[in-house]
Amino acid sequence: MTITIDGKICSCEKGEKLLAVARRNRIPIPTLCHHESLPGQASCRVCIVEVVQQGRSTVTSACVYPVEEGIQVYTNSDRIRRERGMILALLHKRAPDSRLIADMCRIYGAPELNRVSVSLPGKCILCGLCVRACAELSVGAISTVNRGVTKEIATPYHEPSAVCVGCGSCASVCPTGAIEVTETADTRTIWDKTFPLVRCARCGAPIGTREELDHAARKAGVERETLCEHCRRRSMTDVLAAAYGD
Amino acid sequence: MTRTILVCCGTGCLANGSLEVADEFRRLIEARGADARVECQVKRTGCNGFCENGPIVKILPDDIIYYKVRRRDVQEIMDKTVAEGQAVERLLYRDDGGRPVLHQHENPFYAPQHKIALRNIGAIDPTRVEDYLEAGGYQALRMALEMTPAEIIEQVKRSGLRGRGGAGFPTWRKWQAAAEQENFPKYVACNGDEGDPGAFMDRSVLEGDPHTVLEGLAICALAIGAEEGFLYIRDEYGLAVRNITAAIADAERHGILGENVLGSGRRLKLSVVRGGGAFVCGEETALIASIEGSCGEPRPRPPFPAERGLFGQPTVLNNVETLANIPVILKDGGDAFAAVGTEGSKGTKVFALVGKVKRTGLVEIPMGATLRHLIFDIGGGIQNDRPFKAVQTGGPSGGCIPAHMLDLPVDFDTLKSHGAMMGSGGMIVMDDRSCMVEVARYYINFLAEESCGKCTPCREGLRKMLEILTDICEGRGQEGDIELLEELGHTLQDSCLCALGKTAPNPVLTTIQYFREEYEAHIREHRCPAGVCVKLTSFRIDGARCRGCTACARACPTGAISGGVKQPHVIDPAKCISCGSCREACRFDAVETEGREAV
Amino acid sequence: MQAEMDQILEILHRYPPEKRHSLAILQDLQHHFNYIPREGMEALAEYLGCPLSSLYSMATFYRALSLKPKGRHIIKLCDGTACHIRGSVNLAGGITRLLGIGAGETTEDGLFSLELVNCLGSCALAPVMVVDETYYGKVTLEKLPEILAQYREGAAE
Repeated sequence: MTITIDGKICSCEKGEKLLAVARRNRIPIPTLCHHESLPGQASCRVCIVEVVQQGRSTVTSACVYPVEEGIQVYTNSDRIRRERGMILALLHKRAPDSRLIADMCRIYGAPELNRVSVSLPGKCILCGLCVRACAELSVGAISTVNRGVTKEIATPYHEPSAVCVGCGSCASVCPTGAIEVTETADTRTIWDKTFPLVRCARCGAPIGTREELDHAARKAGVERETLCEHCRRRSMTDVLAAAYGD
Repeated sequence: MTRTILVCCGTGCLANGSLEVADEFRRLIEARGADARVECQVKRTGCNGFCENGPIVKILPDDIIYYKVRRRDVQEIMDKTVAEGQAVERLLYRDDGGRPVLHQHENPFYAPQHKIALRNIGAIDPTRVEDYLEAGGYQALRMALEMTPAEIIEQVKRSGLRGRGGAGFPTWRKWQAAAEQENFPKYVACNGDEGDPGAFMDRSVLEGDPHTVLEGLAICALAIGAEEGFLYIRDEYGLAVRNITAAIADAERHGILGENVLGSGRRLKLSVVRGGGAFVCGEETALIASIEGSCGEPRPRPPFPAERGLFGQPTVLNNVETLANIPVILKDGGDAFAAVGTEGSKGTKVFALVGKVKRTGLVEIPMGATLRHLIFDIGGGIQNDRPFKAVQTGGPSGGCIPAHMLDLPVDFDTLKSHGAMMGSGGMIVMDDRSCMVEVARYYINFLAEESCGKCTPCREGLRKMLEILTDICEGRGQEGDIELLEELGHTLQDSCLCALGKTAPNPVLTTIQYFREEYEAHIREHRCPAGVCVKLTSFRIDGARCRGCTACARACPTGAISGGVKQPHVIDPAKCISCGSCREACRFDAVETEGREAV
Repeated sequence: MQAEMDQILEILHRYPPEKRHSLAILQDLQHHFNYIPREGMEALAEYLGCPLSSLYSMATFYRALSLKPKGRHIIKLCDGTACHIRGSVNLAGGITRLLGIGAGETTEDGLFSLELVNCLGSCALAPVMVVDETYYGKVTLEKLPEILAQYREGAAE
């Protein structure tokens, strides 16, 4: 089937998400909380677009909207520009220290909103990707805490978590770099907890925290990894070489 | 002969001491013993809806109804009414002309009502399934067992019933969509998380006629092919939770529900889930998350619950009042139901008529009646005959409708086209002493606390709207604030994830639309025309009108008012906190407000 | 401490160990202890085999649940719309003057907690206040001291 995005006819499959169709057709739609491996978050609302169907126009978020035959989509109408700008301006008040948000405000012409106060210092936009990532890894060290305007992301009782393995997945999916990770030669500190780093038995490069490697090994039912990815591949080559000859 | 004494034991009457009244009847009846000429029984019923005048006592078959009955009145009722069939005049309701009203159906509050959802409430003992059966209960379920799902859905379709919880989505469409799914198990759920401040019809139905909700839910389960259902009820509604829980147990004991529904071999297991105290759980996807044992955060739709709902399975969620209509629709036929109401909104609607209106309570009337009929004929007009200013319909998601629109018919589509909403049927009446900016601020504050905080525009947008509205109410409003509120409001309406956020700006946008000058007075003149905003109002007693009755001085929480009996009173501005209690207490209109320069 | 743990375990075992019962169990803990003790939450996480964080998230999300101990008597002051326009805010101020606590706070002697709650569905009696399970309708500033005094005396007995 086909749909029209900003005047361009795009072919797509039923049930496909609008964002995916747009990206395939190189039509840019900004996103913050969208992550390929953690889809469906739909919380930041930056990807809003206007969808016209049977003459009725509605605003929806492209990341979770399943396309339907014959819809016309406008990613950059006056209404969308105005509202997306307002959402970005609100996020800037929420996360004034985020460079990304400040840059997006500039690019998408967000209003200044000097009239209202800055909500909090920091970079977190509460998109929830970090919580999802942690849960998907069956760790569940962090969650949203409170609700509404007082919502935040934290560990239970705001104390170092007993179950966090220090893998840093939360930080790596965070769109604004709001989760602080500090590393020394042999430790990594995240969410107020410090973990020893394990080094590759062959080359000595850091391969992760001990807890992280244990957690992965437990889940996979194997021994804890001792080599970095590079050395692991090399050791595999060695094994193959030994088995089949050069 | 036999007389039945019905004592209202809804939450409102209980608060006024109806339990002691019922106990006193029982005590006196027992004391009279076997030589009594009249055999009588006492029944505790659910809420009659006229809570303000409770405790309410009705005597059958004479159909004499008493209001504000105290324990000390019971002896006289026993002697005169129960024994002789004569009325105790001082306990009768007085109509607008001061005439005593003997029967419930002659009372101006009840006379225009048309009861479908509330049909049994106040007439049966909710804790006795026998009462419900005697009133024709579970006949509709019996009929449904003989029908195909398509036939059941056809009747609901013909009835034109739309969801009574808020959005007014056609009920049969939800049922149809879930019935079409081939994915089992399926679930049914009743949304009893009545969260709209100012609405209590669901509480009343759950407390006063629990079996009708169970019957409606059971019929829905047959229509879609579900064998398990949940009733999600606010934990604050203690009596409702108790009565529903007991009703499920009774119905199972009588073989009506459970492993073998009315001997048909069908199975239906219902259970109660107590709400955790979150307004957002009234939104169906949030309610589902809550039943599953998570935070009540909405998720994007589609997929709709009819396709993927509870535990990922097809689910139908209906509101309490919606379900209460179902047994009647099946029994009398969809066409009979559709004969009541308007073209697009069929049947009746229960409204919670509250606020500054003379007669407050639950009112069930056909769709399409005017606001004027509701507020002035049934409600008796505004307290103390002050001018009517606006009515807020639909709670925090609704809008304020001004006086010049009193002749609007109340139905789903008319209200929506005027920026308001039917919502669950809250009708909050306001007089000239209600500040519309403060009302808007109140609702936004409520919603900012109740927002789940998942999506940006709702969480951050409400916070900013609240900041601006608070500034306006406290004299820090600026030029451009109204426009910024509108801009934020339109962004929320379009871009929020769920209905809570999308409808949240309604109270602000409608008050701006209809009462813009009141916003401007706050912003430009630092003046609250209604004399409500504390920082913009000071109070003064007009010595000429003051009779020295001391009512204001007694009401003043800070002792700021002085003056002897029959002497004009004076307010000490240094002690006054501008709460307005004196103005409410004064019966001579002697307390005046004046603007105060904002600090 | 052991006695408390026994009570916690008794409450947990009222329900099968499924995540869908987490809210009900948390509510039962709340009713029993007047708050959710940390030991209770940790035991529940173990019982259900779910992360502590997901329960902590719920305990801070739902208004009926609290992580801090509440007073012996809980005053719920309704701030629903009908109560609001009939002066519930003034009553809140009155209680603050009488007890020295604001909404969400507990008196130092642990006797009272004040909660400003959403509509209690008794709008016809506005403004409404509920102390423990008892409803008080059409409450005025004048009536407040008398209502609260009953609970003070009750405590002295």
